[in-house]
Amino acid sequence: MDWLFFGEISLAGLAMGGLYALIGLGFVIIYKATRVINFAIGEIMMFAAYLFLAFAGGMEMSPWVALPLAVLGGSVLGGVIEKVMIRPMLGESSISVVMVTIGIASILVGVVEMIWGADPQLLPGFLPRKPVFIGEMYLAPKIAYGFLIGAAMLIVYLLYFRFSRGGVALRATASDQAAAYSMGINVRRVFNLAWVFGSLAASLAGVLVAATGGLSPQFGAIGLSVLVVVIVGGLDSIVGALIAGVFIGWLETVAGAYLGGEYRMPATFAVLAVILVFRPYGLFGTHEIERV
Amino acid sequence: MRIGDAKQSYEADEAILTSSTQKIWFALFLLALLLFPFMADAYLLYLSCLVGIAVISTTGLNILTGFTGLISLGQAGFMGVGGYTVAWLSANTELPFPVTLLLAGLLAAAVGILVGLPSLRVKGLYLAIATLAASVFLHFIFAEWESVTGGMGGLSLEPAHLFGLTFQSDFGMYFIIVPLAVLMVLAARNVFRTRIGRAFIAIRDRDISAEILGINLLHYKLMSFALSSFYAGVAGGLFAYFFRVVTPESFPLSMSIFYLAAVIVGGMGNLLGGILGAAFMTLIPEILKLLTTALTPFYPNAPIFMSPMLEIIFGGLIVGFLIFEPHGLAEIWHRIRRFFSLWPFKN
Amino acid sequence: MFKSILSKVRRFAGISTIAASLVAAAPAMAQDKDSIVFGGSIPLSGVFAFAGVHIHAGLTDYTSWINSEGGINGHPVKYVMEDTGYEVDRSVAAFKKITGSNTVPVYYGDSTGFMKTIASELNSRGTTLMSGASFATALTDNEQYPYQFVPGPNYSQMFGIILEYIATQGKDGEKPTVAFVYSDTEFGKDPIENGKAKAAEMGIEVVEEIVTKPGSVDVSAEILKLRRVRPDFVVFHGYVLSPINEFMVQMRQMGLDTQFMGTFWSSDKLIINKMGADADGYMGVMPYNYYDSAEGGPMLDALRATAEKSDPDAGYRPTGYMQGWFNAMVWTEVIKRTMDAGKELTAENMAESLASIKDWDTGGIIGIPVTVQDMSFPVGRIWRVNAKEARYEPVSDWIHLD
Repeated sequence: MDWLFFGEISLAGLAMGGLYALIGLGFVIIYKATRVINFAIGEIMMFAAYLFLAFAGGMEMSPWVALPLAVLGGSVLGGVIEKVMIRPMLGESSISVVMVTIGIASILVGVVEMIWGADPQLLPGFLPRKPVFIGEMYLAPKIAYGFLIGAAMLIVYLLYFRFSRGGVALRATASDQAAAYSMGINVRRVFNLAWVFGSLAASLAGVLVAATGGLSPQFGAIGLSVLVVVIVGGLDSIVGALIAGVFIGWLETVAGAYLGGEYRMPATFAVLAVILVFRPYGLFGTHEIERV
Repeated sequence: MRIGDAKQSYEADEAILTSSTQKIWFALFLLALLLFPFMADAYLLYLSCLVGIAVISTTGLNILTGFTGLISLGQAGFMGVGGYTVAWLSANTELPFPVTLLLAGLLAAAVGILVGLPSLRVKGLYLAIATLAASVFLHFIFAEWESVTGGMGGLSLEPAHLFGLTFQSDFGMYFIIVPLAVLMVLAARNVFRTRIGRAFIAIRDRDISAEILGINLLHYKLMSFALSSFYAGVAGGLFAYFFRVVTPESFPLSMSIFYLAAVIVGGMGNLLGGILGAAFMTLIPEILKLLTTALTPFYPNAPIFMSPMLEIIFGGLIVGFLIFEPHGLAEIWHRIRRFFSLWPFKN
Repeated sequence: MFKSILSKVRRFAGISTIAASLVAAAPAMAQDKDSIVFGGSIPLSGVFAFAGVHIHAGLTDYTSWINSEGGINGHPVKYVMEDTGYEVDRSVAAFKKITGSNTVPVYYGDSTGFMKTIASELNSRGTTLMSGASFATALTDNEQYPYQFVPGPNYSQMFGIILEYIATQGKDGEKPTVAFVYSDTEFGKDPIENGKAKAAEMGIEVVEEIVTKPGSVDVSAEILKLRRVRPDFVVFHGYVLSPINEFMVQMRQMGLDTQFMGTFWSSDKLIINKMGADADGYMGVMPYNYYDSAEGGPMLDALRATAEKSDPDAGYRPTGYMQGWFNAMVWTEVIKRTMDAGKELTAENMAESLASIKDWDTGGIIGIPVTVQDMSFPVGRIWRVNAKEARYEPVSDWIHLD
């Protein structure tokens, strides 16, 4: 076996996994606070990536201005979606809420196609193009730098949730909504903030992923890989999202490299199926006990 | 104005058609369905066959999602099982279409039970994800098991046949699809007059309570899966006979979402809703095309916005109905009917 | 954002107004002969719209040109189309609608899926000859698809032409090595088996085969695989843009001197427009002369003049336009031959006329006379991107497979 090759593949997979972890984090934040499974997360990522394209390509801004603007745009979109379409669904069955997010996904695809057309697009290059070597192992520069940016963001997030007031409010709401209410936490605001922050993480990842793989209205399909990540990790576990994100990213890449591209999805979904049967609430998720 | 009828027995109350007015309308409706193909042109005939297939599949999904409360993203995959079964049987055997369709339904039901097995342990959204995984695996099998499925190129079919008759044209297919759709909807209606159907509804409303009432959850959940995928399998088989070719790309994930949307827009847990939803969602693209064609003289670019508009309308309908009209088109239909039956008095 | 909307609307508005053609372009002619209908399921919207709008423009402009030339044997031509959004069921609906209200001898199909689906109906009707956007190898099977043809080389033949070119590029008498990269779709897998067989026959070693999902995916692991085998050529198939760009950029970053080639639908200006300088050196196989190539000929000049007249602001016309025009040209030729032989316009007679096409001079659309084989035109040429000039330049002679 060619260990150098295996190492390089693994490295590429882990770097991609870092981005999955970031998206998974965005997903988990929303789920933890609001109990909504957001099927539109891939489309929110796509929307942010198109915003980046518009700012950096169409308006010819510096990519380093366009990136924060696009990410901000994506998070505002998340906030608006929560206010306009998710809030009226408070108290409805989870199936209905999931279907609303599926509807939102479709609307976003249409909007993007209407504004930017259905043609495939490439983002203007903004990451350094000099190859990166770790020891003898080659790593594509886009992926390496994408990973670094994503990891930096992850750390900021973790610190924020650990120490800031908003982070504490969010965790409090997640663990006991009624108690949070009675302690004077504005739960509605927390819901909105969760969507804003969740979308922010996803948007950043969206721009980074689109920068490596290209962009089209079908981009949102990446949401499927993210679903696997959060189910394997446990829907309400941040640690789970991080670990599962990196693992699924790695597995997908290794399966693609050794078995062929058609095995990428089945490989990760096989892990998903095993998890569903043996640990239905994910590796790190909380098992909820239901009472009549 | 019609006055409410007093029911004098449980049988009367349980009857599918409770009043003579309903019976008359239903008879007229069946007559219209019978006469339609003799008057419609090829285009309308084609669309009505599409609607018929969609009605069967939507009714199946409605049983699972609308009545049992189990959301499934695998409907297209189950249809694929049915489609491939029919395609394979028609290539390798001489079986007539009623047999192949039945086998398609049964095989799809078996796969449905397999996919439903995790419902022993997981439910709600986790189950939805399990069905999603199933559709990924099914797609993989369709694409890779080349000796049976023909790989990416798929399989072509001979036309459906029975007693030496072949059903090649849409006209012929209409007389397979539409009666089958009527039958299967009626069958579903009957299921909900029995213990089985009521158990489904009890599970939907609160599964733990249902279990306490003595309903074997696993048994009935699997039964719901089986029934639902049987419908999907038959619909998929008809799809195969109708288009006479199946490929892995014939049954994409978006198709599963389409059927979910049809159930929601029509009205979850309402068979009439399933029919209305299936018809409405199938016809939207054609309606929209008429609109854009009408608009082009004033706005020459209208056609290029057609596909994005469709996506937006599709999503907007899902969101809009869930927020504003959760009982779907069926509720609107009932309101209209109530208006006429109570006219000229209000409410 | 607004700029992009504006430019898009302008771009589409430019294309000989779609509205005009919906009402169809049959000018009042002196002759009172029946008009001949060109039907079409055209993807004006949806994922294939980037080509569909130009195919539509090509068909529209050809129709107005042939009518200005007096139609086909005096019969005026009418082009009737419907938008499909590149969905098979809607394409079929369009077909039923158009054939329901017109007699349609020739029809444009927008996808392989549609053309396979409609085949059984086409065979039983026996009234219509079909070609379209698909170059699928399967469609050139005369048993199953007797009334469908491919307006150029099929995908396998494109691979054949590419391999013929590659075979001439060896140094020191050694054959170059090649890797195939294709998408996990029916489109992507189409020519691979035949391509491998052809390569083996020619003594070209296929050192790696890579399957990816279509569109936006991370392909760095696949690129690492190619780094190990260092192919002289990579041939892409089943993509429009991504991930071709990523393969090219990353492999060049690794210092490989691999050359990159693609088939029809990934050999248009889109690659140059989106990739810029990175596209330099990319090669495509193309059966038609590019709109802005240095070549000429009576038909090519007529095409350019008609395009110029119908929309003076459009400038370059993409390969979809050439494809649409060429389809209509073949239909015209086939109908003419059938009429001249005194036969009726049935699918069978027209298929016979098509098969009789031999050493046909296309007036510069294709650079050499072509002969139809098994319902395809197995001819093409390799063109290379000159990024500075933002155009494709020929690097091989015309290659006619036999």
